[in-house]
Amino acid sequence: MRIFSLALCPLVCIFATAVAAEENPLASSAKLTGLLAAAGPDGKPVLSPEQRTYFDGLNDHLKALLTKAVDADIITRADHLGSILALGLRPQKMEVFLQDNCVLCHTDPEVQKPETFFPLSQESTNSPAHHLNLRDFVDDAHFRRGLSCAGCHGGDPASDKLEHSFVKEWPGTGRDKDRGWVLSFCARCHSDPTFMNRFNPALPTDQLAKYKESPHGKLLLETKDPRAPHCVSCHGVHGIRSAKNPLSKVYPKRVHETCGACHANAETMAGFKLPDGSPLPTSQLAEYRTSVHGRALLERGDLGAPACNNCHGNHAAMPVGLSSVSQSCGLCHAGNASLFDGSKHKQAFEEHKWPQCAKCHGNHGISKTHDAMLSGGPRSLCTECHQQYAKDNPECTATADYFYASITHLDESWNRFGVIAEQLAMKGLDVDPIHDKLNELADTVKQARAHVHSFSKNSFDQVAAPGNQAMQSISTLVDDAKSEFRLRQLGLLTSIVLMGLVMIAIYLKLRRLERQEDRSHQ
Amino acid sequence: MAGNTSNQKSTRRGFFDFLLGASSVAWLGSLLYPVIRYLKPLDRAGAIGPTRLTKEELAKLEKERFVIVPVSGRRVLVLQNAAQEVLAVDAKCTHEGCTVQFLPAESAIWCACHNARFDLDGRVLSGPPPRPLPKYAAERQEDGGILIVAERRQSE
Amino acid sequence: MSDLDRGRGWRRWLDSRYQITPLIEFLRHKEVPKGPHSMFWYYLGGTTMFFFVVQILTGVLLLMYYQPGEATAYESIRYLTTKVPFGWLMRSIHCWSAHLMIISLVAHMFSTMMLKAYRPPRELTWVTGYILFALTLGFGFSGYLLPWNKLAFFATSVGTDLVKSVPLVGNWMLQVLRGGPDVTANTLYRFFGLHVVILPLAFVALIGVHLLFVQRQGMAPPLGAKVAPRGMKFFPSFALRDLLLWLFCFMVLLVLAVFLPYGPGIPGMDWELGEKADPLAPAFPGIKPEWYFLWEYQLLKEFPPHLFGLEGPQLCLLVVTVLLGIWAIIPWLDRQARRDQPSPGFSDFGWGAILFLTFLTLKAWDIGASGPATSPASLKAISWICAWWTIAAGVVIVGVRFWVHHHRWFFFTGAALLHVVLHGLLGLSYLVAGAIAAILAVGVVTACIFRDRRRQANAGGSR
Repeated sequence: MRIFSLALCPLVCIFATAVAAEENPLASSAKLTGLLAAAGPDGKPVLSPEQRTYFDGLNDHLKALLTKAVDADIITRADHLGSILALGLRPQKMEVFLQDNCVLCHTDPEVQKPETFFPLSQESTNSPAHHLNLRDFVDDAHFRRGLSCAGCHGGDPASDKLEHSFVKEWPGTGRDKDRGWVLSFCARCHSDPTFMNRFNPALPTDQLAKYKESPHGKLLLETKDPRAPHCVSCHGVHGIRSAKNPLSKVYPKRVHETCGACHANAETMAGFKLPDGSPLPTSQLAEYRTSVHGRALLERGDLGAPACNNCHGNHAAMPVGLSSVSQSCGLCHAGNASLFDGSKHKQAFEEHKWPQCAKCHGNHGISKTHDAMLSGGPRSLCTECHQQYAKDNPECTATADYFYASITHLDESWNRFGVIAEQLAMKGLDVDPIHDKLNELADTVKQARAHVHSFSKNSFDQVAAPGNQAMQSISTLVDDAKSEFRLRQLGLLTSIVLMGLVMIAIYLKLRRLERQEDRSHQ
Repeated sequence: MAGNTSNQKSTRRGFFDFLLGASSVAWLGSLLYPVIRYLKPLDRAGAIGPTRLTKEELAKLEKERFVIVPVSGRRVLVLQNAAQEVLAVDAKCTHEGCTVQFLPAESAIWCACHNARFDLDGRVLSGPPPRPLPKYAAERQEDGGILIVAERRQSE
Repeated sequence: MSDLDRGRGWRRWLDSRYQITPLIEFLRHKEVPKGPHSMFWYYLGGTTMFFFVVQILTGVLLLMYYQPGEATAYESIRYLTTKVPFGWLMRSIHCWSAHLMIISLVAHMFSTMMLKAYRPPRELTWVTGYILFALTLGFGFSGYLLPWNKLAFFATSVGTDLVKSVPLVGNWMLQVLRGGPDVTANTLYRFFGLHVVILPLAFVALIGVHLLFVQRQGMAPPLGAKVAPRGMKFFPSFALRDLLLWLFCFMVLLVLAVFLPYGPGIPGMDWELGEKADPLAPAFPGIKPEWYFLWEYQLLKEFPPHLFGLEGPQLCLLVVTVLLGIWAIIPWLDRQARRDQPSPGFSDFGWGAILFLTFLTLKAWDIGASGPATSPASLKAISWICAWWTIAAGVVIVGVRFWVHHHRWFFFTGAALLHVVLHGLLGLSYLVAGAIAAILAVGVVTACIFRDRRRQANAGGSR
C-alpha cells in the first residue's frame, strides 16, 4: 500500500503540472512575467496601469501569441512591450500585429536605426517626411485588412531571420531617382478587379489608366521629372486612410493642402508653362481660399462645396477643357448652365474660344455675384466685352439694363417690406402671411438672378412676373395690417370715450350724492 | 315754485341716472364684444392643431401636383405622387435654405440652387445637402380637404 | 329716501333669510379718515386689487387657449397673439397689468410704511400685506416662464439657480422648484400649477384676511394727523371715487396695451415672444430678470465668490434675508409709532431703502456702459453714472422732506447716499462702501438713542 502511494505521488504531480501547463501557458513564460514586472532606473514599473489593463484584457489566443514572441526573443525589452500594448489595438489588428515579425522587429528601438524605426507618437503626422509612424501604420487601410509589411515589401513575416527578399517591384537601388516604379507597385493590386473584389468591390480599379492620361502621369512616365506626383504623394504610404476619413490627405477639407503642396509652391512649379508660353500660375490656392467655394468648404465646413478634385478630377487630374467648363460648373449649377447653353452667348463664346462660366465668374477665385455686374456702372461685367464685340447691337445693353432694373427693384422691395414687417410686428400685428409672401418674393429674386443666364427678356420675365405678383400681395397685406392697426386704435378710442362718459356720469352722481349728504347734515 | 324746481331736479336727476346707466351698458358692451369674439374658436386650425389647406391651395395642388403651404411660420411642400397619395415635407432645402420644388416627371424633389435631389420621403439622393428634409404627416379628409399635422422627425 | 325704498323689496327678502341688515348698516357707516392729509394714498390698495382682478379675468381667458408643455406652450401663445381675435389684446393687457399691479403694490407698501399705518392695532395687516407682496412676486416669476421662449427660459434658469445657496435644503429646494436638476418641461408644468392654482388660492385667501382686517379696524389715519371728527363715507363717496380711479387705471392700461403691446422695450420689462426656448443652446449675454428682481440680481453680482468662509451667493442670501426680515417686523421694531409718537427714523429708513434699491436697479440696467458691460472700465462708468442719478434722486427726496415736510431725520438716507458716493464716485467696492455706510449709520443711530435715553433719564431724575 505504502509503495503504491509512493509511486503514485510523482505520477500525480507530473500529471498536475502537465495539466496546469496546458491550461495556463503563461505560467511557463518567465520571460513575459519578467518583462511585465520590469522596473525602470527610478524603481517605477516600466508598464503604465493602462498598458497593464490592456494586457489583462487580452484573450487567451493573443496572450499565447505574445508569449511566443517574447519566448522567441523577438520582444526582449519592457519598453518595447509597453509601446505595443499602448496601441490598444482591437483583437483582429493585434492578431496580425503579433504574428508579423517585420513589425515586431521594426518597433524595437534597440535594434533599429532611426531611418528604419517606427516610433509610437500620439498624433498622426502623415506627412511625406514621416513615413514611419506606428500609430499611422496601425490605422492604415491595408494593415486593417491584414495586409502588413510583407504584402508590399515581400519577405516572410513568420521568419525571424534577417533576410530581406523584396519583390521585383521594390527596386533595391535608384528608387529615389525615378519614382515610376511606385505606380506598378500599387497598381499590382489596385488595377486587378479580381483581387480587389475580395476586399472592397465598390472601389474602382481604373486609377492607373486615368493617371497615365493625365499631365501628372505624362510628367512622371514620359518626362521622368522627379517633381512629378505619384500615388504616395497624395495618399501617403504607411498611413493610408479612406477619403472619407477626416485624417486622410484626400479628405475633401484637406485636398486643397495636398494639391497646394506643389501647385502653390513657386519653387516647385518653376519652369512649367501654360499653352500660351506664360509661366504656370501658383495663385490658385490663395484665390480659392477667398472664393465662395473655398469659404463654404473650409470655413463653414460645407462638404457639398467643391475642392480641387471635384472640377479637375482625381487620378486623371487635368485642366478643365474649354468646352467642358459649363459641364463642370453645371454639375451643381445645373439651372444656370442649362440656361447658358441654350442662349446666344454659348455660340459667341465658342467662336471666340472663351471659357464659358469662367469668363465672367473666374475659375479659382469665384467671388459672390452682385447685381451691379449687370449695371452699366464701374462694376459692370457686360460693358467691357460688349464695347468690343456686339457693339452695334443696342438690344444687349437694353437687356442688361432691364435685368438690372428689375432685379434691384425686386430686391429693394424685399428689403423695404422686410423692414415694414418688423415694424408691424413690433406693433403686435400678425405678420406671418407677410413673411410667407416675402419668402416667395425672395425665391423669385433668386430665380430672376439665375435667369440672367438666358440673356433673354422673355425667359426672364416669366420668372420675374410672380415676383411682381408677390409684391402686390405684400402691399395688400401690409395695407390690411395697417388698417387692422387703425381699427385697433379706433376701438381703443371708442372704449376710452365710453369710459369717459361713464366717468363723467359717475362724477356727476357723486357730486349729487355728496350735496344731498351735506344738505341732510345741515 | 318749489314744486317746479323739484320737478326740474328730478328730471335732471333722471337724465343723469339714465346717462350713467346707458354709458355703463355701452361701455360693458364694448368690453364684452372682444371677449365674445375671442372665445369662439377659429375654423382653420388650432395652435398645434393641423393646418387645413385653403381652396386655392387645393386647386393648385390638383393643377401642378404640388403646392407650398405656410404651417406655423414654416413653409411645407405638399405633393401628390403617382399613386395619388399626399405627402408633405419641409420646403426649405437643408443646404443653403432655398425653396425646393417637386418634379412629377422624375418623381423627385429638386432644389434649383445647387442641383440637389431628394426622394419623396425627403432623403437626399444627390447633391450637397447634409440632412434630409423633415417630414410632415398629411392626411386626406372625407370632404376632400387635406390636413397637415405636426412635424414628425425623419427616422434615419 | 326713495333709493332705499326702491331697494326695500330685495333687502327684506335677503334680510329675512340671512340677516344682512347689520352688514348693510356697517357698510353705510364705514368711513375713511379725513383731515388735512392727502387721501390719495388710501386708494392704492384698491388699485392693486383692481389690477389683480384684471389679471384673473384676462388670465382665465388666456387659459382658454394656452397649452402648457414643451411642444405646445410657445406655439399656443404664438397662435393666440397672431390668429385669435383680440388674443393679442388679452395677452398684452395681462402682461401690462402684472407690471402695473406691482408698481401699485410697491407704492401701497411704501405709503403705508411712511404713514405708519402698521402701528397697533394693525400689525397683522402689515404682515399679511407683506406675504401678499411675496406671492405677487411669485406670480410674476412663475408666469414669466409660461411662454417658453428663450428669454423666459434663461431668466428662469438664472433665477432659480439662486435657491441652491440656501444652506442645508438648497439643493432639495432647487430640484423641487425645477422638477429636476435643470429647467425643463417639468419646470413648466410646476410653474403652471403654481401660477394658475396654488398662488391664486393662497392670494385670494390672504386678500380675504387682509381686507377683513381693514374692514374690522377701518383705514388708519396718518400718525399725528388732525383727523376730522367725521371721515369721508365709504359708500358712496370713497367707493365712487375709487371706481373713477379704477376706470382711469383701466384707460391707461388699454392705451399701453394697444400702443406698446410688447412692453416699453426696457430690459426686464419686455415680453416680445421672440424665439422658442432651446435648452441645449447657450445663454445669450445680457439676460436680465424682470425689473422688480433686478436689485437682487445686481446685489448677487457685487459679492465675490467666497467671503468670510461662505460662498458669495449664500452670504448675499443671508444679507437679503436679514433685510427682508427687518422689513417684516417693522410694526414691532417701531416703538415710537407704537406709542403714537412721530417716528422719523423709520420714515427715513424707508427712504433709505428706496435709494438703496434704486441704485442697484439702475446699475443692473448697465446705464452708462461703454462697450461690453462686463469690462472693468465699463463697470466703473456704470457705477459712476448710476451714482449721480441716485444722488440726484436723493437730493430731491431730502430737499422735499426738509423744506416741505420739515423732517430732520436723515441718517439712513444719508447712509444710503454715502454708500453710493463711496462706491460710485470714490471707487470703493460695493461691499466695503456698504459696510462703512452701514456701520456709520448704526453707530450714529445707536449713539442718538443712548443720548435720548440719557436725556429722558436726566429729565425724569431732575423733576
